[in-house]
Amino acid sequence: MKPVARFAAALLGSVFAAGLYAGAANAEVTVLGWPGGPEETALRAAADAYNAKDDVSEENKVELLFFNRDGFWDKLQADLAAGSDAFDLNLLATYSIGRYAPFMEPVELSDEAQALYGDAVLSTMQFDGKQYGVPTDLSLHFMYYRKDLIDALMSDDDAKARYADISKEHLGTAMEPKNPDDWTWDDYAATALYFTKAVNPDSPTRYGTVLQMKNLLFNIMVWQSTARSYGGDWMDADGKITVDSEAFRKGLELYKKLYDAGATPRDSLSYEFAEANAAYAAGQVAAMVQWNAAAADLTNAEKSPAVGEVTATIAPPAGPEARATHIHGLGLGLNKSAENKEGAKAFLKWLSTEEAALIYARAGGAPALSADAVSAVAEERPDLVQLGEYAGAYGYVMNGGASANALAIYELQAKEFTGYWSGQQDLDTALANVEKGMADLLK
Amino acid sequence: METTHRLEWTLLATPLMAFLLVCLGFPAIVNLIYSVSDISFETLRSPEISGLGNFAAVLTDSGFWRANWFSLRFGLLTAILECLIGLGLAVFLAPLFKDRSWPIAILMLPLMVAPALMGLMYRLVLHEFAGPVPHYLWAWFGNSPAFLGPNSAFWTLIVVETLQWTPFAFLLFHMAYQAIPEELREAASIDGATGFARFWRIELPLMLPTLAAALLIRFIDGFRVFDNVYVLTGSGAGGSTTSLSIYIYEAFFKQAAIGKAVAASVILFAVSFAVLYGLNRLARRRRR
Repeated sequence: MKPVARFAAALLGSVFAAGLYAGAANAEVTVLGWPGGPEETALRAAADAYNAKDDVSEENKVELLFFNRDGFWDKLQADLAAGSDAFDLNLLATYSIGRYAPFMEPVELSDEAQALYGDAVLSTMQFDGKQYGVPTDLSLHFMYYRKDLIDALMSDDDAKARYADISKEHLGTAMEPKNPDDWTWDDYAATALYFTKAVNPDSPTRYGTVLQMKNLLFNIMVWQSTARSYGGDWMDADGKITVDSEAFRKGLELYKKLYDAGATPRDSLSYEFAEANAAYAAGQVAAMVQWNAAAADLTNAEKSPAVGEVTATIAPPAGPEARATHIHGLGLGLNKSAENKEGAKAFLKWLSTEEAALIYARAGGAPALSADAVSAVAEERPDLVQLGEYAGAYGYVMNGGASANALAIYELQAKEFTGYWSGQQDLDTALANVEKGMADLLK
Repeated sequence: METTHRLEWTLLATPLMAFLLVCLGFPAIVNLIYSVSDISFETLRSPEISGLGNFAAVLTDSGFWRANWFSLRFGLLTAILECLIGLGLAVFLAPLFKDRSWPIAILMLPLMVAPALMGLMYRLVLHEFAGPVPHYLWAWFGNSPAFLGPNSAFWTLIVVETLQWTPFAFLLFHMAYQAIPEELREAASIDGATGFARFWRIELPLMLPTLAAALLIRFIDGFRVFDNVYVLTGSGAGGSTTSLSIYIYEAFFKQAAIGKAVAASVILFAVSFAVLYGLNRLARRRRR
């Protein structure tokens, strides 16, 4: 599929994501899943495998429900709050656990779960010390970059000299190009500027990077690893809000500098996942930080003919304090108003076994499995090896990132920080507004 | 006789009144209670009355006034543009439509597209690397504006809304224009009136009620805009494209500030009711 068609399909898919019913007509355990992506395909495969088991009775077979991805969490919130029993199990995400926990029940996982996932991944489905779900998928960020362009830069002395000039002019230090795996955020910025036509008219690409800066909570998740790598956090160990910090300033200023220099498309303040992927896949961008979910398309020459063969992925750049990638899990948990709680618990227990996790992984899901477990699917899913490795080494959740108002905090930051990036308010005002809003939300 | 009429009226009106009470009255009462309550998703069924704090929170929130300003500008500008263009099309293309209906069918097509889909369509059409508009601008001029950038998003949204809803205004004006008796135009022509004088002194005054209705309908629609704006730009960088509907939606679902969201909707209801009541009284006075 051409990039344009894929972009259109992604947009439409986000609205018309799903059919309504699947599975056995007389099934009794109803599961509300994440529609329209690899998660749906993988859940269907797992449900089929479970329903085919001899020891699963007719009244405990699993039926899957899918509706629209657009506004999913809002609709789920309303359903749960209304005490809906239309589903026994529902989707859960790390950043929404705190909001949904009052309407859900803690669950018991299989004995294999600990070894299968490890503590860090299991904790993405925990709230107040209790396990609320099975972590079926993990999301984190990769740095996607063009190997061909970086190799050409590294092997050309004239290009290196130009790179040094540009970094001196825009970042204050004459820098040398580095292997992307050794990048700091400054190296990333220097590379982005070098590959920007507005800065370097000889650049082979129009833009050095593409930043997704739309006023959207998911874009803050992509951005916040910059602040984290400078040591930033939402709160310190005592619960004091620490957003107005040097680390957050560094991260926010980095985006602002790249946006103002024209190193990212000028519509970036309206960009999210699909728009950023379309820009990168067009072959006019040298590097970008993006969700791991884009890897399957952007590294595939058939799906992304302009970049598929020359795109590599690594962990996001490092800062002085850490190399960091935001992680969050998607999983399934138990609705407090479920009609068939015992059947639902049995399915969840099975879903947290190695057997289920491997079926799920082979069908396209993205579970973050331990090194031992992932070896069974490493040949078919090499990206899962990278996923598990990066999650373990660089993954973090901001302190408060699973609290009841985590979603609202992300929304608040998205509004205030995009206000700064777009020039509507200064950095001090944006940070002060976020601190004030967070103080209210975390009361 | 009068008793029979009263009985008939009661019998006929009861189902309607019951319907209104259930479908409008109940939600209205719940909203009023929520608007003066300390309420969250956990306490939807047991709200705690807390006074007028939610109203105070809304009225002192600069975001609320900013959303009002956005909706007011958006509603006024789109209503005026749609009515001007719709009126122009109805009058100047009238000879074309006299014996043919298919051009009208073509003009009506944008109305068939759901506003949310219209937003999605323009996200694609205006994307720098996937959209045809920036593609040709880059190819022909070596540059393309940021259609959805912070400085231009408002105007892009105005254009998208106008393109979609001008056909609605056009349809109203087309019908009003066709309803003007041909003899009036002929008489004016015999008296030596020019085309413009005929339009200005005869046709436009006769179409004024339609113009007023079209402006009002389009203003209301523009003021309460949600779907295409939300799909195209969300609430915008720094909240710059937050309409009042988006403000209420985000307060309710994104911030879980249910009391505040409901208080804002109660204020919106009260202001809308006052404006519509005032306009209605004004119209009745003019008719007398």
